[in-house]
Amino acid sequence: MEKQQGFGAWIDARLPTLKREWNRHMAEYYAPKNFNWWYYFGVLSMVVLVIQLVTGIWLLMSYQGSAEQAFASVEYIMRDVELGWIIRYAHSTGASAFFIVVYMHMFRGLVYGSYKAPRELVWVFGMTIYVALMAEAFLGYVLPWGQMSYWGAQVIISLFGAIPVVGEDIVQWIRGDYLISGITLNRFMSLHVVAMPIILIALVVMHIIALHDVGSNNPDGVSIKKYKDAKGNPIDGIPFYPYFVIHDLVPITVFLFAFCSVLFFMPEMGGYFLEHANFEIANSLKTPEHIAPVWYFTPYYSMLRAVPDKLGGFMAMAAAIAILFVLPWLDRSPVRSMRYKGNISRVMIILFAANFIILGYLGVKAPTAARTVLAQICTIFYFSYFIGIYFWTRYERTRPEPDRITMDGGIGTFKTLCGFALIGILVVIPLKVVGAEGKSCGTIDCDDFDADLGNNASLQKGAQIAVNYCMGCHSFQYSRWERVADDIAIPHGLMMDNMVFTGQKIGDLMTIGMTEEKSKAWFGAVPPDLTLVARSRSPEWLYTYLRNFYADDSRPLGVNNRVYKDVGMPHALLDLQGLTECAPGPMMADNGGIKRDLKSGDDILGDPCGRFAQVTDGALTASEFDAAVFDLVNFLTYIAEPMAQQRKHIGRLVLMFLALLLVFVVLLNREYWKGIH
Amino acid sequence: MDTIDANASDVDAADVNTSRRRFLTGATSVIGAVGVVGAAIPFVASWKPSAKAKAAGAPVKVNVGKLEAGARLVVEWRGKPVYIVRRTAETLAAVDALGDETLKDMTSIDAAQPSYIKGSARALAGKEDVLVLVGLCTHLGCAPIYRPDVGAADLGGDSWMGGFFCPCHGSKFDLSGRVYVNVPAPTNLEIPPHSYESDSIIVIGVDAEV
Ligand code: FES
Repeated sequence: MEKQQGFGAWIDARLPTLKREWNRHMAEYYAPKNFNWWYYFGVLSMVVLVIQLVTGIWLLMSYQGSAEQAFASVEYIMRDVELGWIIRYAHSTGASAFFIVVYMHMFRGLVYGSYKAPRELVWVFGMTIYVALMAEAFLGYVLPWGQMSYWGAQVIISLFGAIPVVGEDIVQWIRGDYLISGITLNRFMSLHVVAMPIILIALVVMHIIALHDVGSNNPDGVSIKKYKDAKGNPIDGIPFYPYFVIHDLVPITVFLFAFCSVLFFMPEMGGYFLEHANFEIANSLKTPEHIAPVWYFTPYYSMLRAVPDKLGGFMAMAAAIAILFVLPWLDRSPVRSMRYKGNISRVMIILFAANFIILGYLGVKAPTAARTVLAQICTIFYFSYFIGIYFWTRYERTRPEPDRITMDGGIGTFKTLCGFALIGILVVIPLKVVGAEGKSCGTIDCDDFDADLGNNASLQKGAQIAVNYCMGCHSFQYSRWERVADDIAIPHGLMMDNMVFTGQKIGDLMTIGMTEEKSKAWFGAVPPDLTLVARSRSPEWLYTYLRNFYADDSRPLGVNNRVYKDVGMPHALLDLQGLTECAPGPMMADNGGIKRDLKSGDDILGDPCGRFAQVTDGALTASEFDAAVFDLVNFLTYIAEPMAQQRKHIGRLVLMFLALLLVFVVLLNREYWKGIH
Repeated sequence: MDTIDANASDVDAADVNTSRRRFLTGATSVIGAVGVVGAAIPFVASWKPSAKAKAAGAPVKVNVGKLEAGARLVVEWRGKPVYIVRRTAETLAAVDALGDETLKDMTSIDAAQPSYIKGSARALAGKEDVLVLVGLCTHLGCAPIYRPDVGAADLGGDSWMGGFFCPCHGSKFDLSGRVYVNVPAPTNLEIPPHSYESDSIIVIGVDAEV
């Protein structure tokens, strides 16, 4: 026995479990040394789990789980809590990152047969984690209480209504109300914050114990336990600590780099990580035009939609997940790894991956007839894969497995990239066939808009227009006057004198005096709050919308809009723009260009509202008006995410730091691994 | 770590460049530690008073133009009661006459008060008649009662020159908020930062420029 000294020995005499477990899981856990990059995703999911737990704990310090306060408290975190936006974006980015790494981790399991005996339980625990994670993500998505939170919850909970006889009672029991309400929100918060994390952590512990009891699989799928050295340790294995711990620092740093790139530079990820409609507060009377779950649920959502029957759709969805649990018993192949499986398996796994991605993509998009057919084909293929595997794995010719693990890296980088390219092509082609998108701005295409958030003069002008023309009816109730003044360099005194309403203090929220009842009586609906409108719509949409009002006597307010047909809002900027009316203008051809007369080359004026003609003059000329609307939309863009500039600035520093860390981590890893062949 | 290297079957012990390893481990740890500290910044910062708390704790403006001699005004600042009292010249003289047989900290050495608050009047120069105090007892935080009635029998009769009396454990303060001897409160009442925007408008929460 080696002589131990000091504190370590003192602890060891009193708590030997600590050292024993450390050795069992780290210092003396031998992992195959031919692990490749696919094996990084396990540890990365642990990293994300930690990020989610820590940021979640902090979010709960400022979040309020009531129907009245939930939405506002999220914006409170984003604006009023110092650097609260980093914590919130980390949590929202983490949710998607979790599924990315977990999907990669699962795919790794499929490719290398990590689910096969003796690791069935590892796989079953892992699948349970996946299901628990979906529940956790779903519950968490409801908490911000935006439109997507609300209607997503509505759709998912209603699924249980498909269960015969007791369905409707179950749905009501889950909601605790006759509709999704604050009561539902409260219980979801409790589950999301307390129950599910405990379950998840317990499952992760079981997943790891089950793995370490039987030992890790590896890209060759052959056991490393056959050949052992004099001490009884596998010669093809290497202790997890320090070798794999240091090894994993490299992917962890790379992952953090990617994670922070999203967090600081594209936290919405084009509406996939944070959906646009969720920047609008939950409204039980109005469903968003296009409703789709967050991307990580969409493969199953596609299957749900593909089946033209309520109960059937629900069952397809449930079965799609359930069938994964029994995979270890479906695969009858004598070999584990794809490296030694037959050609059918290889082709099928590629098709399966492409199929899954297509289902995911279709689930994000609004259904069309062609898309539904494609979703149906993919659903059938999804199940055929799992049923088929039972047969082809029994009969196909496998390649001989090596006696020991190999270190040649399998198919290598080039072929791996080819594999990904192949999957990419297989995804794109069928989607091209069923493509076709609508117009981006109602009946027309959006005009380009490039926000200029560093331009204080423009933002100040925009703020002035917003206060004078918008705030008669609309509030900006998640923003404070003082923040706006400080951010766009308006002196407090000037702000108080010219913008802040009588009776309000500079530190107050930008609310308006008009009560909801009054505005309902005037407009038939409450004019929406505008703080986040540039995020729930888009700056391009706003810029186009505000410039496309035209005279229409058939409407109660005398105006209509080409972007938002039959809009209930008056032309608020009328005295600036003056009234315009429709005039015949050029039409778009199918190829995206303008339709022209083939002989004369003139535009064909086939669109009855392709142009506007001025009826009465406004205070501004047409180009001055465009500039004014630009300033206004620029301001709306700013106020929707006031920290956008700071976010990018901090992001650059963070990425620079991570790049530096990466250098050292790579050197350290090389130093430790240079002797390992 | 040595024990582990010996276990690692394929690692040739002679291959290990210990000093390089140690350097790289140290360097990576230091940078990693910097990263951890950096990552902690948002979590620490988020505990600071938010914009909402700051708005609620913003300076309060009070018009004391109509405050009569001997009268007291209570305003809320950062959730605390702030007492504003207008004193007469006689009161100020009586306050100045009190010595350390009556007061624990006559010169307000231990008192929480801005540097521009001076003398027995404990007020801004030129505005000695107006007393601005945080109305929370320095003992355990009750709100003292304003008792300007000189010679009140329950407060010691003739020796009571008017002031503040804390009902919780009986601390007494004079009309400048200075604590009496032989009472539980340890220090004089706190004076919040304040300044005059105009002759009659006090801004509580903004320091006077002196
Ligand atoms: S709190 Fe005032 S005397 Fe104790």
